[in-house]
Amino acid sequence: MASALILAKPEHEEDPPFHHSSYQSTALRGPNKAPLILRPGRTENHGAVFGEDRIRPNDDDLTRQHQGDPLGEKIVVSGRLLGSDGRPIRNQLVEIWQANASGRYAHSLDDHPAPLDPNFTGGGRTLTDNEGRYRFVTIKPAAYPWGNHPNAWRPAHIHFSLFGTAFTQRLITQMYFPGDPLIDDDPIANSIRDKRVLARLISAFDWDLTIPGTALGYRWDIILGGSNPTPEA
Amino acid sequence: MNTQSGPTPSQTIGPFFKFGTEWLADEHIASEDIEGAIFLTGAVYDGAGNPVPDAMLEIWQADENGNFPPDTLDSWTGFARRLTDANGEYAIRSVKPGAVASASGELQAPHIAMVVFARGLLKPVFTRVYFDDESEANADDPLLNALEDSDARSSLLAKGDGNRSYRFDVRLQDSFRGQETQFFAFEN
Ligand SMILES: [Fe+3]
Repeated sequence: MASALILAKPEHEEDPPFHHSSYQSTALRGPNKAPLILRPGRTENHGAVFGEDRIRPNDDDLTRQHQGDPLGEKIVVSGRLLGSDGRPIRNQLVEIWQANASGRYAHSLDDHPAPLDPNFTGGGRTLTDNEGRYRFVTIKPAAYPWGNHPNAWRPAHIHFSLFGTAFTQRLITQMYFPGDPLIDDDPIANSIRDKRVLARLISAFDWDLTIPGTALGYRWDIILGGSNPTPEA
Repeated sequence: MNTQSGPTPSQTIGPFFKFGTEWLADEHIASEDIEGAIFLTGAVYDGAGNPVPDAMLEIWQADENGNFPPDTLDSWTGFARRLTDANGEYAIRSVKPGAVASASGELQAPHIAMVVFARGLLKPVFTRVYFDDESEANADDPLLNALEDSDARSSLLAKGDGNRSYRFDVRLQDSFRGQETQFFAFEN
């Protein structure tokens, strides 16, 4: 297309496609046309800023948001939020949500007949520090069945929502746990065509992050693409 | 092992994001008493023309002078999030942004960046909202002019009701009826 704004480049191949037949919900929701590759302007190159006043105590500790202790295995999930140039993304919002230790979401439409936990909601948020580091204390979520195909089970996962320094970096994804046998057959995880790229979603067990006697630790670094936008004219 | 050697790939937001994301979903960009306040409303539809009640959308925009932080009032974020309701609808009070220069330096018509996430979308769709009552500025807009397909162009125009309210529907797919919204992606 003849324009300085629209680039004749294929879509970024590492992300999943819009249509992935084994994930049924894509059938009517994935666009049929390939998106045009846009050279970002000032609108797309600016980022949203969220002040520290937005974060409340215990927003980053999902085990302390209620009167009592939640059921399940307490874990620490921590890592760094980086641009693809390797530089930390500082003071930026990280949001998570997840199922409880029985694989049930605190959501009115989740009909999985596993128990709700009155001491666990499963939503959290924090801001990254000067090194781009984030840290949550939570409960290891369980796998849960879903209606995609007969005997379909999602591997244990935590949903993550990330903001970079620009609109072009906006990312929502899922973090998986190492050694989970359900990953290999999960249509959502395997919508990512390259196994090495899928591996970027699998956290690493890390003794250094454990809280002795209390919580095991998982490390997961997040790299946001699109961090080197064309300089503004 | 977590072998991070490139950008973290996208996964669907899934159906159960409400309790993780709605805390940020009730704010407007402009307050009621501001003179140039507008409403941006619309709905998200799937390929069968049915509303999508489990989508999350966000808009990012310049202020009425075309500025972004830090060149704005301290209270200005230019960011708003909505979770679609049971009818797939959303509504955000904002202001019409001022003109902003493009990557190549040309002046662009007023526009808002929008991103939509939903169950069934393995990665988000990005688009731009222009205003149908800015025909002069739109006629000179480099992006609108680069779209060869007039349906694609019109899919980016929010329709004003003459009373400071604009409707912008997002059509995720064109399978059974109507036109698919023109979506964009960015270099990684
Ligand atoms: Fe989930």
